[in-house]
Amino acid sequence: MNVYETDEEKAEAIKAWWKENGLSVAAGIALGLGAVFGWRAWMSYQDRIAQQASAAFEQLIATAQSGEVEQVQAQADQIDREFPNTTYAALAAWVRGRAEVDAQRLPEAQAALRLALDRAPDPSLKRLTALRLARLLIAEQAWEEAAAVLERYEDDGPFRPEFDALRGDLVAASGQIQQARAAYQRAIEGGAIQANLLQEKRDDLPPSS
Amino acid sequence: MLQTIRERAQGWIAWAIVILISIPFALWGIQSYLGVGSEPVVAQVNGVEITQRALDQRYQETRMRLRERLGSAYRPELFDEQTMRAQVLEQMIEETLILQVAQDLGLRASDQELRLAILLNPAFQKEGRFDKATYQRMLALQGTSEAQYEDSLRRRILGTQLQRAIEASAFVTESELAEAVRLEKQQRQVQLIRLPKAQFLSDTPIPDAEIQAYYEAHADRFRSPERVKLQYLLLNAETMDLAKPPAEEELRQRYEAEKDRFRKPEQRQARHILIALDPKSDAQTEAQAKAKIEAVRERLVGGEDFAEVAKEVSEDPGSAPQGGDLGWFGRGLMDPAFEQAAFQLKKGEISAPVRSPFGYHLIQVTGIQPETVQPFEQVKDKLRGEIAKEQGEGRFFDWAERLANLAYEHPDSLEPAAEALGLQIQESDWLDRQGGEGILANPKVLAAAFSAEVLEEGLNSELIEPEPGALQAIVLRVVAHEPARAKPLETVRDTIIDQLRDQAARTAAKAEADALLEKLKKGEPIEGYAVQDLGTIGRDAFQVPEAVRKLAFSLPRPKDDQPSLGSTSLENGDGAVVRVKQVIDGKLADLKAPERDALKRRLVRALGQGYYDRFLEDLKARADIERKPLETASDF
Repeated sequence: MNVYETDEEKAEAIKAWWKENGLSVAAGIALGLGAVFGWRAWMSYQDRIAQQASAAFEQLIATAQSGEVEQVQAQADQIDREFPNTTYAALAAWVRGRAEVDAQRLPEAQAALRLALDRAPDPSLKRLTALRLARLLIAEQAWEEAAAVLERYEDDGPFRPEFDALRGDLVAASGQIQQARAAYQRAIEGGAIQANLLQEKRDDLPPSS
Repeated sequence: MLQTIRERAQGWIAWAIVILISIPFALWGIQSYLGVGSEPVVAQVNGVEITQRALDQRYQETRMRLRERLGSAYRPELFDEQTMRAQVLEQMIEETLILQVAQDLGLRASDQELRLAILLNPAFQKEGRFDKATYQRMLALQGTSEAQYEDSLRRRILGTQLQRAIEASAFVTESELAEAVRLEKQQRQVQLIRLPKAQFLSDTPIPDAEIQAYYEAHADRFRSPERVKLQYLLLNAETMDLAKPPAEEELRQRYEAEKDRFRKPEQRQARHILIALDPKSDAQTEAQAKAKIEAVRERLVGGEDFAEVAKEVSEDPGSAPQGGDLGWFGRGLMDPAFEQAAFQLKKGEISAPVRSPFGYHLIQVTGIQPETVQPFEQVKDKLRGEIAKEQGEGRFFDWAERLANLAYEHPDSLEPAAEALGLQIQESDWLDRQGGEGILANPKVLAAAFSAEVLEEGLNSELIEPEPGALQAIVLRVVAHEPARAKPLETVRDTIIDQLRDQAARTAAKAEADALLEKLKKGEPIEGYAVQDLGTIGRDAFQVPEAVRKLAFSLPRPKDDQPSLGSTSLENGDGAVVRVKQVIDGKLADLKAPERDALKRRLVRALGQGYYDRFLEDLKARADIERKPLETASDF
């Protein structure tokens, strides 16, 4: 480190340093400020997009309650087109799936739930969607596809009894009565949602031997 | 000197100082990161804290809401504080978590939704429409600002959006619906062989040792309850001799003293003509107005119709259109000068000009209702009721206070109180905790009778008013106490024998049923048993004993015409063998549209709520949730 004899010398040194580095310092500050403001603008843009998606989704729920399938389709499609990278795309696909089921169009409903599965950004959402999709596949007797969906998404968490219940349906359909009874039993003991119905299902199975 | 500082400033001292100064700055606010010294925290959800204070507040709100909802049925002792706190905390954890998840998933409550929620809230509406002033007033009442309220509303919308999404997208497929109907409406063709318990009852003697063992094993069944005998002093209308009605003389005195209550003062109806005049106007204007009103008076005296003239010239915009009519009024309503004139006039007479702050009036009285006083006879009954009530209440509270004091001052006896108040000491029969009759069945009275003070220390109870407002009070003491104790074996011997025989018969009946079942399963012939055909029964066939119904519907579905068989024990102890011959499934097509829709709605709702619960549990399982052991807050 240099030691300067007088103030003048020091001032000279500073000026020289500024001449050399001034531009990069200014550029650095500008860049920093730009990053901060840019980030904030980006955030507020994101927020605006999310709000728009939210409003569109709330409207979709309202439409779904009035039961106009075509309108539900149109609105759900629009949400998926305009906000494909938001969670709302998945939620909208759910709602559309329900409308399709109510209109007795299971293949379309399946497509909607597959889309929801694809769009859902969160494992819990995915598991819930998978359960719904598997139920649709079981309703269409697409046993293997249903098994594949269960296989892929089941885990030992709180959704376990629901997966067990669907497993029961699958093995019962293939005539494996004992396994079916065991699966229903596991589901009931795990506190599945429709435990009462599952009990009835279990008791309705023919003798296993 | 400055030079020295400058030189030194390059050296180590300067560095030391700079470092020392920077330490506090570096640590400033660090406790908010470490959680040191901040508020006590009861739980953390992915690092977000729930403070003790927030929990306390929420707990109080919950309790308050519960109290409002339950009204008089609310009993604080019904709600265990610890349990309720834990529940409230769990709810807060869930709310915090779902909010975080919603944020992380990029969900937002839109301004539009927020506006709608506010506009449609009936609490903020006036005459069916949103009213900004009402909105602000309601918020002020709750002590929140608009920004705070909107923020919390936004969170509420956001926090429920996932739930609404899950519930709105819940569905039941046609095949699931059919399956539910198939099972729920299923009917089974059932046969029953009943083995009555009575057949297995024996009267062989039972060894004493067995009876003794049973007596000891079920000691709690053979106990007489704890009992007390009470002495008590009862204060009520009868014991205080309040039935006696107040004398006529007393009523008359009261009537005279309070005559004003029954007086209806004089009322007059009048009309007027006003020539308006500023009270501060000068003499000239005053004289002009005076002249004007005199002229009007001339016209009236000359026979012109008052009402017509009033309409024409009166400068009182309120009354002129009605011909100057002011309606009925009593004293104390009008301007004093006006009133004085109006109450002195005869009916129909036209007053001289009257000066009031408003100007000059001409007044005509059109109706007089003289003062009336309701006669004594008319109000006698009312007075009698009032006096009786006052005296009753006054006397009751006076006596109750004296009774409470006397019973407290002489805690070992009711005699002094009874003597001083001229009450009769009453004595109860034996009472257990179920209580006796009348006031002795009251829970407050029983609680006092079995309280430690009264029962164990033998003191008088406090004054108890079982029903607030009923003018009834009681003080009691225990004069005899019989603790709960085992009934001697001899007195319950027969009961025990009956129970043992009953038990044996039940077991035997069931064993017989099991044996029969085995035979039937092996296909061996059975004889001498009555087979009862129950026909085809549904799950709701309440005419069939519950145990039979349950068994019939839990037996496997018959395969290859091979009936399903099972055995059970009925509630009354009979043994039973059940045979299911055939299962008839419920058919969706048999359901009427409304029934079908109702079932579908029920299933959809159950699935929607169920999936949301699971979803929440799943989120919780994945989250990092830390619960601190709960302690009771110190502030209550």
